[in-house]
Amino acid sequence: MRDYGGLKATEQAAKMNTLKRPHAASDTSEEEELPDDYTSNSDENMEDTDSEDEDATDSSDDDESEEDGDSGKEVNDNDPDGDTGIDSISEVDEEELNSAVNQDSSVASKAVNEYAEDSSDEEDIKNTVGNIPLEWYKEYDHLGYDVRGNKIIKPQQGDGIDEFLNKMEDPDYWRTVTDKWTGEKTVLSKEDVELIKKLQKGGNPSASEEMYPEWIDFFSGEEMMHPVTNRPMDKRSFIPSKWERLKVGKMVHAIKMGWMKPRQQKTPEEEEEDKRKRYDLWSDEAEDGILRRYRQHIPAPKLPLPGHVESYNPPPEYLLTKEEEEKWTEQEPEERRINFLPQKYSCMRLVPAYSKFINERFERCLDLYLCARQRKMKMNVNPEDLIPKLPKPKDLQPFPTTQALVYKGHEDMVRCICPDPSGQWLVSGSDDGTVRFWEVATARCLKTVEVSSRVTCVAWNPNEKHCLVAVSVGTTVMIINPGLGDKKMVSDTDAMLLSYQNEAGSSSEKELPVDWVQSDLNVKDYKTGVRLRIEHPKEVAQVTWHDFGDFFATVMHEGQRQAVLVHRLTTRHSQSPFSKSKGWVQCVKFHQRRTGGGKTMTMLYVATQRFVRQYDLVKQKMVKKLQTNCKWVSSMDIHPGGDNVIVGSFDCKNAWFDLDLSTKPYQTLRHHRGAVRQVAYHSRYPLFASASDDGSIIVCHGKVYSDLLLNPLIVPVKVLRGHAITKRLGVMDCAFHPKQPWIFSAGADGTIRLYS
Amino acid sequence: MEDDTPHVQVKFRTKQQQYAVPDTPFSVPVEVNREKLSELVNGILQESTESSGHVGHIQFDFLIDQEFLHDSLKKHLEDKDLTSEVVLDIEYVERQAAPRPEESLEHDDWVSAVQGAGQFILSGSYDNTARLWSSSGQALMTIPGHSAPVKCVAWIHHDESQPVSTFVTGSHDQTALVWQWNRDTNEVDCCLSCSGHSASVDCVVVNSTGDLMCTGSWDRTLKLWSTAYTADGENSGDTDRPNKKKRREGSSIQQRVPVLTLGGKSDGMDTDSTPAGHTEAVSAVQWLNTETVVTASWDHTLRLWDLQQAKETALLQGTKAFLDVSFSPLSQTLVTASADRHVRLYDPRSSEGAVVKCSFTSHTGWVVGVSWSPTREHLFLSGSYDTVLKLWDTRSPKAPLYDMNRHEDRILAVDWTVPQLMLSAGVDNRVNVFNYSPATSATH
Repeated sequence: MRDYGGLKATEQAAKMNTLKRPHAASDTSEEEELPDDYTSNSDENMEDTDSEDEDATDSSDDDESEEDGDSGKEVNDNDPDGDTGIDSISEVDEEELNSAVNQDSSVASKAVNEYAEDSSDEEDIKNTVGNIPLEWYKEYDHLGYDVRGNKIIKPQQGDGIDEFLNKMEDPDYWRTVTDKWTGEKTVLSKEDVELIKKLQKGGNPSASEEMYPEWIDFFSGEEMMHPVTNRPMDKRSFIPSKWERLKVGKMVHAIKMGWMKPRQQKTPEEEEEDKRKRYDLWSDEAEDGILRRYRQHIPAPKLPLPGHVESYNPPPEYLLTKEEEEKWTEQEPEERRINFLPQKYSCMRLVPAYSKFINERFERCLDLYLCARQRKMKMNVNPEDLIPKLPKPKDLQPFPTTQALVYKGHEDMVRCICPDPSGQWLVSGSDDGTVRFWEVATARCLKTVEVSSRVTCVAWNPNEKHCLVAVSVGTTVMIINPGLGDKKMVSDTDAMLLSYQNEAGSSSEKELPVDWVQSDLNVKDYKTGVRLRIEHPKEVAQVTWHDFGDFFATVMHEGQRQAVLVHRLTTRHSQSPFSKSKGWVQCVKFHQRRTGGGKTMTMLYVATQRFVRQYDLVKQKMVKKLQTNCKWVSSMDIHPGGDNVIVGSFDCKNAWFDLDLSTKPYQTLRHHRGAVRQVAYHSRYPLFASASDDGSIIVCHGKVYSDLLLNPLIVPVKVLRGHAITKRLGVMDCAFHPKQPWIFSAGADGTIRLYS
Repeated sequence: MEDDTPHVQVKFRTKQQQYAVPDTPFSVPVEVNREKLSELVNGILQESTESSGHVGHIQFDFLIDQEFLHDSLKKHLEDKDLTSEVVLDIEYVERQAAPRPEESLEHDDWVSAVQGAGQFILSGSYDNTARLWSSSGQALMTIPGHSAPVKCVAWIHHDESQPVSTFVTGSHDQTALVWQWNRDTNEVDCCLSCSGHSASVDCVVVNSTGDLMCTGSWDRTLKLWSTAYTADGENSGDTDRPNKKKRREGSSIQQRVPVLTLGGKSDGMDTDSTPAGHTEAVSAVQWLNTETVVTASWDHTLRLWDLQQAKETALLQGTKAFLDVSFSPLSQTLVTASADRHVRLYDPRSSEGAVVKCSFTSHTGWVVGVSWSPTREHLFLSGSYDTVLKLWDTRSPKAPLYDMNRHEDRILAVDWTVPQLMLSAGVDNRVNVFNYSPATSATH
């Protein structure tokens, strides 16, 4: 039996365990309770000290041998050579204990415990303090007392530097642990480490047994390269079945004999008949009916889990105070936050039956049964996706951005402005009774014409061969030759006006609605530039030229059926295009529209209070009537292309009409905070602007595509400010420069501003 | 004390070879300012040129990353958020002295054009007159002749040695008038009337020899005129007396027709293959050399015209309406003023790459006048509707060298024909004169 030495230490320990059991059981203490063991050991030690006065270690050696002898007797039946065997084991044990005793984990201490009984007393001497926390000895440099009452000095504890040096130098540092009981440092053996690792993984502490060996699935469905068994395949697995053959033979015989009839194929008619007779009643409503309820099952809403309030013994903060309780009772049952009063019972036994249980269950059932459950269709829409993709204003340049010039000179609000077709001059009319002519580039006032009343509208003749400005003052429309620009043009214009003779005497037959008065050459009027005066019956609100520069139209708000008059310069003829009143006419605009084949269509747009009517002047009929959806239209402008109209209204709105699209606004822009006074298109750039009483001009990019499928692109690009609001009026008029992307604005503060 | 202040490594370089120093890095304290740096460079220069000869004390300006150093290096580093641990590359240039404000020439009305020649200044005004001034601010003469505001003026011929000078004025009345001025008698006569434009004459420019002039007009055309005054035989070399007589008789003014008309869509005067030219008003004209002129226009383009072949040779597209252009024969580049707040530098020779070589942004209103220095290749003036006249160095596009705030209202024209005279004319009825004399200020 000497071969014990060949085994590994742990195995030996395990075997020793089995050997030691009876002794351990016979001992007073349980395995787990280490302190008892120690006390018992110490008792023994005490006895020893009584008998012998030898060195503690020596005596313990003797004791050990005695004890071993005792235990040896008990196991003698099995092992006659127990003595020697145990001797060797005890040696091993010493090592074991040295290493394993001081593990922090309880498991490790348990492992120690097992060996504690058969270990020598020498070990136990190290701890004489019993089962007390070691911290109690923290302040002392000893740890209990030995038999002679001498202090057992604590092993030397290194300071931080020692610790660090150990850490750096000692290769076993990582497995050095401090003994909880003696404060000694011990190095764990390789086996201990393995054991600990195993225990940490939750495995069996014994090394030999694998508690949960890895499962190898031999007989899986997977086809393996090599067969699991060596058995050859049965013959029956690759020959036809005899019993099937017999069965089939019987059936064939039965059919032959007429005992059995094979199923007959159905004729198409029969199939038809079948279909007619039997059909799927719910085929078309399968999805709507019961099936759907199963498919789209909505689980019942769960009851909230009980919390602290529902507890029979809730924390005191959940209990209601008197006031809260009163308040709770006063509340309507529906309003209560909790539908019961939290109550405290000292123990579960005292909790009475819940009186409202049935009620609550019933209500819950009603909830589940009666309350319609429906799946809410959640729309996961990114709000940014809903915003139409508009280009950035930066990409839409050029447009006016900054104020460049201020034209100062007028003493009262400037009501109207108009640049000349070449863009070199600007005319403005003001409430101070003057018409001023400006040089655009320098803001120099070159000429002032006194007209003795407030000017309501100015319009430069769009024909570049003429140099004329129409000015409406009170009931008069003046045709002024400002004498600016080409001298030849100026003189030609004068000559053209003078060359008129009342040749067509026939015109006098008809009663003209207005009086044409030509200024005499010697009159002061003529020198100031006024060439013609056209006296209207009522106050003239607006005057506008036709593109050719021969026709012009005037608007009298109170003119009833003569609200709109069309005049012709060369023949000095005026006529009223409408036979009856169309309502309160706000403004009119001509538009010359080029259609295919070199033809031109002359359109007249008439904006009344709510509608805009489009007339074909040649055919003399109305083409379209646009509904503005505005309360009071203030202004209107026609896109150079002719298919788009912008309308400004006193109720702060701009309406863009696409005539091809609809008679309702394609887009309504509500950017202004005040009444819109004027709207204007640029003749070259895709720009339009609106001037408002809030003192701002809003410039928008309005691109009209020649492709009919594309709707106009409207992007507000700039708010221009600068005019001071005077008498609650802001910007009275705005007009684009005919060639540059600049805009002029006339303000109630008496200035004209140029934004570039 | 000096040891405590942090130092920074700097490396000096210059494009003015006469002042070149070795490009070894120097360690200078960060507190150092322009004067100290200038002293330092002077010291280095004196060391290196001790053998060759003394240069004299020169004031320098220092450019760090295209910006002039105004305060101390430290402040510059802080402003630019630069570390003081890298070697700073500093370019230094001879310091431009501050222009000295001098007389203010009071007019009766807005002054729309101004040009200097020698000791004299010619200005055009909105009261339909042109005026002559001495550079010391003395009003010499008021010349009524136009029937509309004068828009442009130019000296044709001015020589200190000869008593007779000639100049031209262009006006809203669609004519340009050529005048002869006798300094001895202080009499002015209109000798030529150039009519042909169908709109206001907005700019006029005379070539270097003074025998040709170009006018640009709102009617989109550019017209070339001969200034040669070939009056009938005897009075050509004579004094003005016969002219005066004739003028009294009312028939002395010769009518002149243009030698050449360029641009203008409709008129086909002598154009068989000329392209359409400008589509908007011509706002400024400059001679590039004896045969080429450049025009700036409201149609957002600059066009180069070859006068020999009478055709357009190149087109530079801009983004804004051009209001003025100036060409420097020294740097062979154009600066333009447009209807926005930027001054842009164009190179008429290159056609590839970015058209705008550089832009100078400091004004807050439209820039209406630009003028190169006649002697310095890096300097130019710009005047703007924001009432400020600015002196720029092309090497420092981020900030101007000097701002001159003497006008009370918008500036309408600037001129720097005479190297010593920087002129600006404005809406406040004044021509402001600044004396620019680098020679006196450079050496102390």
